[in-house]
Amino acid sequence: MSNNVSQEKTPGAPSVDVVTARIGSALSLRGMGITAVRVAIIGGFLLLWQIASGPWIEPFLISSPSRIFSSLITGFRDGDLLQHTWVTFEEIAIGFPVGAISGIALGYAFGRSRLLAEIFEPIIIALNGIPRTAVAPLFIVWLGIGLWSKVGVVFLLTFFLNFFITYTGMRQMDQEYIDLARLMRVKGWKLTFKVIFPAISPYLFTGIRTSIPFAVIGAIVGEFVASTEGVGFFIRMSAGIFKTADVFVGIIVLMIMVIIMDKIAAVIEKRALRWQTQTEHIQIQA
Amino acid sequence: MADLAQASSKSAQNQFDFVIRVDNVSKVFQTPSQANLSALEKITLDVRPGEFVTVVGPSGCGKSTLLKLIAGFFASSAGRILFQGDEIRGLNTLVGYVPQESKLFPWLTVEENVGFGLDPKRYSRPDRERQVNYFINLAGLAGFEKYYPAQLSGGMSKRASIVRALAYEPPVILMDEPFGPLDAQTRMVLQDELLKIWDQKRQTIVFVTHDLVEAVALADRVVVMTHRPGKIKDSINVTMARPRNIFEIHRQEGFDEAYGRLWNIFRHELNIGAH
Repeated sequence: MSNNVSQEKTPGAPSVDVVTARIGSALSLRGMGITAVRVAIIGGFLLLWQIASGPWIEPFLISSPSRIFSSLITGFRDGDLLQHTWVTFEEIAIGFPVGAISGIALGYAFGRSRLLAEIFEPIIIALNGIPRTAVAPLFIVWLGIGLWSKVGVVFLLTFFLNFFITYTGMRQMDQEYIDLARLMRVKGWKLTFKVIFPAISPYLFTGIRTSIPFAVIGAIVGEFVASTEGVGFFIRMSAGIFKTADVFVGIIVLMIMVIIMDKIAAVIEKRALRWQTQTEHIQIQA
Repeated sequence: MADLAQASSKSAQNQFDFVIRVDNVSKVFQTPSQANLSALEKITLDVRPGEFVTVVGPSGCGKSTLLKLIAGFFASSAGRILFQGDEIRGLNTLVGYVPQESKLFPWLTVEENVGFGLDPKRYSRPDRERQVNYFINLAGLAGFEKYYPAQLSGGMSKRASIVRALAYEPPVILMDEPFGPLDAQTRMVLQDELLKIWDQKRQTIVFVTHDLVEAVALADRVVVMTHRPGKIKDSINVTMARPRNIFEIHRQEGFDEAYGRLWNIFRHELNIGAH
């Protein structure tokens, strides 16, 4: 059989690599240009902000990049801000994975059991209709003013997003993959982890990555409602005494937190979906 | 491993005359508009162990439905299908299935795909590796073990898809127009390779196609189906000698005769006026 390979168009490794390399160098040239424009836009904006603050607009309304930067430095040097950041991080670090995993698990269960889906789908949709941040005060009542009420809000926001996206993935899954696998006597955990989860993994990652900012929103809303520490508490307190620079510092800390989490998720996603990335290269080519 | 498969198929031969017996089977689908669509009507078909049967018919005649019934993907509306003497209830894990599109698992490499059906309880690790290597070589995919399906050409995925079904050695392979979407040349190459593999393994194959030349070139027996609802119109034996030369199949003795008979049966299905 092998003697006939040459009769076919084979996408041999070398030609693919050459094409990819060529695209790579073209991209990096283009990429450098894009980066330059981006830096110019951000730099220009910061400069304008710096100039406007004082002569044109009251600093206590908009602060200024230089003030924000020095507040950021002192905040972390004093250890105060570090403590707040740690508290918020802790709330997310517990609530987010638990929420994501339970959401994925329930979405998976709904996808597998028609009975379960038929019974609970309307209920879940109704619950989803509740503006979830409106429930935050209840969590304070139930779980107290400390860590666990915020974990609850983070969980709630993460859970529903992951549930809905996973369930969508389950419903879009190609039945033929399951049929083929089962024909090969594959069942149980191997069917779940070697067929179903990989098949819906693009959805899983979409769910996880979209819910990251929402997890942070959950923590902050919880802290806004009632708390004694955390970045949300820090922002609210600073705003209360018109320390506008510190409000921006809090916002920046949250932004960085979201970016780092998203980057980590992106790296994991790229590894897990490496079987897909090759397709993207071919699409660029076209 | 190969000897074992042959031995088991021989003992199956002694036990039953037929590996598959489709007995008066009908299949009615419910369409979304609540209408009933009769796909198959009173199909009766026997397949002997080691036989290469091709099923031809106009498109939409229920050829694929018949294969899916034998695989047990869904149940028939009437009649029954016996497999090695037992009625099929639920999924039939004794068949291998090669779908129309390759349907390799895109998240697994070529070697993981080919080895996917090798149950660790039946195959030790070295056995599995040997088996996977053997079939990857057989498919001419050596050197592509670590490739993902998205990186393969259409013909290569097709071959990988076929050996994935062969690798765990089910006694029967069902193939649903596996070479349909390929260009003519690749198609011939793959037909040739399929026959070579089959000459070594002699599994029972039920092969659905709409191509009459392909049907005759590959088969021991060609079964002709009618328009929807699909019925079995006739079946002809192809007595051409093996091994066959796919690339010059027209020159082979017996081809013209078999093709002529098949065409005579088939043309009425196409509504081309008979003279």
